[in-house]
Amino acid sequence: MEAVKINQLHLDDLPWIVEYDENKCIQCGRCTAACSFGAIKPVVEKRRKPSTGLQKPAFDRLLVIKQNVSFEHHCRGCGMCTRVCPNGAIKAVRNPNDKYSVRYRAAKADSVKKGGRSNLNTEGRTLDKIKIGRISQMTDPSLDAARHQFELRTPFGRVLSADKLSLHNVNGKMELSSQLPPNRWIYPIIMGDMSIGAVSWRMWEAMAIATAYLNEVMGMPVRMCTGEGGIPVRLLKSRYVKYMILQIASGHFGWNRIIQSMPEMTEDPAGILIKIGQGAKPGDGGLLMASKVAKYVQEIRGVPRADLLSPPTHQGLYSIEESVQKMFLSMNAAFNFRVPVAIKTAASVTSVSVYNNLLRDPYNIVGGFFLDGLAAGTGAAHEISLNHTGHPITSKLRDCYLAAVHQGRQGEIPLFAGGGLGQTGSFAADAFKLICLGANGVFTGRMLLEIAGCIGNETGKCNACNTGLCPAGIATQDLCLTKRLDIDVAAQNIVNYFIANDIELKKLMGPVGNSTLPIGRSDALITVDKHISNRLDIQYIC
Amino acid sequence: MNKETVKIKTLIDNKRMSTQELLQLITSKINDGYTDFDIEACGQHNIGGSSWAKENGEELNFKITNPGQRVGAMALKGTKIYVEGSAPADVGWLNSGAQITVNGDCGDTASHCAAGGKIYVSGRVGTRSGALMKHDPKFEPPEFWVLKNTGSFSFEFMGGGIAVICGFDCGGIDSVLGNRSCVGMVGGTIYVRGTFSGVASCVEIKSLNEEDINFLRNGLLEFLIAINKSGLYDSLTDFSQWKKIEPLPAGTKEKKISVSEFRQTKWIEGGIFGDFIQDDFKVYPLPATGDGRVRIPEWNKTDCVNCGICLNNCPENAIMETDKIYSTDNNKCIGCGICEAVCPKLCWALKSNRKEIS
Repeated sequence: MEAVKINQLHLDDLPWIVEYDENKCIQCGRCTAACSFGAIKPVVEKRRKPSTGLQKPAFDRLLVIKQNVSFEHHCRGCGMCTRVCPNGAIKAVRNPNDKYSVRYRAAKADSVKKGGRSNLNTEGRTLDKIKIGRISQMTDPSLDAARHQFELRTPFGRVLSADKLSLHNVNGKMELSSQLPPNRWIYPIIMGDMSIGAVSWRMWEAMAIATAYLNEVMGMPVRMCTGEGGIPVRLLKSRYVKYMILQIASGHFGWNRIIQSMPEMTEDPAGILIKIGQGAKPGDGGLLMASKVAKYVQEIRGVPRADLLSPPTHQGLYSIEESVQKMFLSMNAAFNFRVPVAIKTAASVTSVSVYNNLLRDPYNIVGGFFLDGLAAGTGAAHEISLNHTGHPITSKLRDCYLAAVHQGRQGEIPLFAGGGLGQTGSFAADAFKLICLGANGVFTGRMLLEIAGCIGNETGKCNACNTGLCPAGIATQDLCLTKRLDIDVAAQNIVNYFIANDIELKKLMGPVGNSTLPIGRSDALITVDKHISNRLDIQYIC
Repeated sequence: MNKETVKIKTLIDNKRMSTQELLQLITSKINDGYTDFDIEACGQHNIGGSSWAKENGEELNFKITNPGQRVGAMALKGTKIYVEGSAPADVGWLNSGAQITVNGDCGDTASHCAAGGKIYVSGRVGTRSGALMKHDPKFEPPEFWVLKNTGSFSFEFMGGGIAVICGFDCGGIDSVLGNRSCVGMVGGTIYVRGTFSGVASCVEIKSLNEEDINFLRNGLLEFLIAINKSGLYDSLTDFSQWKKIEPLPAGTKEKKISVSEFRQTKWIEGGIFGDFIQDDFKVYPLPATGDGRVRIPEWNKTDCVNCGICLNNCPENAIMETDKIYSTDNNKCIGCGICEAVCPKLCWALKSNRKEIS
């Protein structure tokens, strides 16, 4: 028998222990066939038969399922084995004695990386401690959520205050003497912001199809952000590009093809989003592990197969002013000042300064400020960033909104908030509360993955997006795994989820009595938490 | 019984009788046996409502000018109300059987929640008229006849009864039912003549059948006599100009194309990644065979003793043997690795099947 050394990785160090009941197992092999991580394998075990007399004990051989103990092939708790087992003989159980991260650093002299989301749960979410408490009761009629005509659209693009409009009198008629900044009225939930490469081609296309369907069949002007991995030329040259917000991040991936396609594009994109940072790993650049840099990803991005690390900053930008002058101007110029340009940063204690600076934009070219909170998801990140950096979205969004209010300039640069929305089950409620706190709209990526079939959660289940071994075919580029994802079901589920959310948003707008989005209607919100009440300036109740 | 008509002036020496005073005066007269009233009102509410004659089977008649809101509110069968000129909001509110004729226009929410009787209007009716009308099957359905048109949001939440909107004198009006008519309508029938638009998606618009035409022929005659406009009969009985609106059967949902159909018929042909990837969009089940396997077993003959253990243990019967050469049937093998585990000579090895699509 092999001897054990104390420093060897042991089953008891792993984050998940596979519980297996050999009495229920029929040895059908489904669990090991389904496990994309190779975390379990069939083995023949020797079992001692007790001696009943003077003869030596004999041994039985038994075919059983056993857990692999290795850094490369350890169980992530995704639960695919449980799903495929016909007898309920196997399941992954969280190991309270988990020492994996320590062991990994000690053995590999490298930082721990993972995908998914932060797994350090603090004491509950702020949004869950807020209720909608200002209900129309005789003061004004509540609106019938199912039947009233609501206007949910929100502006995306620079909004000029009345005194900034270049209106003047020409023969008794008001005329504009210069072009207004581009502005689009869009649905207040923006989807995506997940790059080609981070998610499989099927997942990315499912989101694009869902976006087109919501627009053209449902009449909901939902926009999708491409993420930083470029956009397929076929989509660029199609009419559907008008629903897409093109992202440019520090890696500038995919822009060669966008520029090459410009002469042949028949529609303008919905907008451009300059990504400075993201909530899941603020201050860190994008990270796409080599295992996911498939050939088509290499082509669109213009890079070979390698770990792709975007720089943490846009290398030509050194200050907010310069960003406005250079980056906003260039991106506005890209489509000849016809397309709104917004910027996305990770929420930070500095967000208000940034927003105040943007509000001073002298060229009227800043079309939106996207704030991404620390509960956001990611395809891959250093665990240390994921678990220990970032800023919650709620108070920062509120700070930015109130900063604009104090200058009488709210709404001039629309605010969009994201990061962990829907985490505790109700996306629409989270969106509604953020809108009441001052957001013009929200954005989500993680939620779409869950709708499509992601089985991960906030407490460490799976979260292996970085490995390229996604058991749901979402965060992988492998043929055998990607084809597990049904593109039609994924897209249909996203569509259905948006329709459900639309109903639920109206179900909240009705009682408050708003026909239009209640942007900044913080009087509608109440909390039993005195600190939250003080910090967000909403009514304390008990 | 007293056949004399009770004439009531509600404004005497610039002093206005309150609603309470007027209604209590009417009640006391009814208790004295009077049945006919001629009221010069001054905006008092609820005139003609919730009253019944002292003698069984007797009819109450009200002739009213200048009423306030809710003329004929909660009125019962056996009550006949005639308003000379227009009436403000809520004519026939909760009408339970009276015949109410308004020889003029009505304000908002005419016939609101009416569940019986007939309401005849010779002019236009305001917004939300006909809302929440209902039909209790133990009684005759309520009828609501309007010569001209309704305001917006008409017939919201209508649950039963019959409404007839004749669309007379509506030149220049986009919709004789106003905008957003029939929202939440679950029962009843609306007959409408002339152009209308913006009705809710929960109803269907149908052509008239013979029964409908008969109903309208008889009903229009009675209606036009009641409002002294018999001369219009011919022009209103061209039934090609009429439509009928009824709610869709419960549970009917608007049929939309599925996302799958959308992808196959409207979306970019071959998919947006079609110039890189030939994807048939088929879905691998779990566990999958063929290319859907995460791992594939490979056999190496070096040490094989031809024991057949792998063959016997393969849960999918995917292992084949010909002339001591072992192989797997890719259409059966799921890549579980049991062959590798059971082979005493380590002839089977699982290899990764991770590859990119091309």
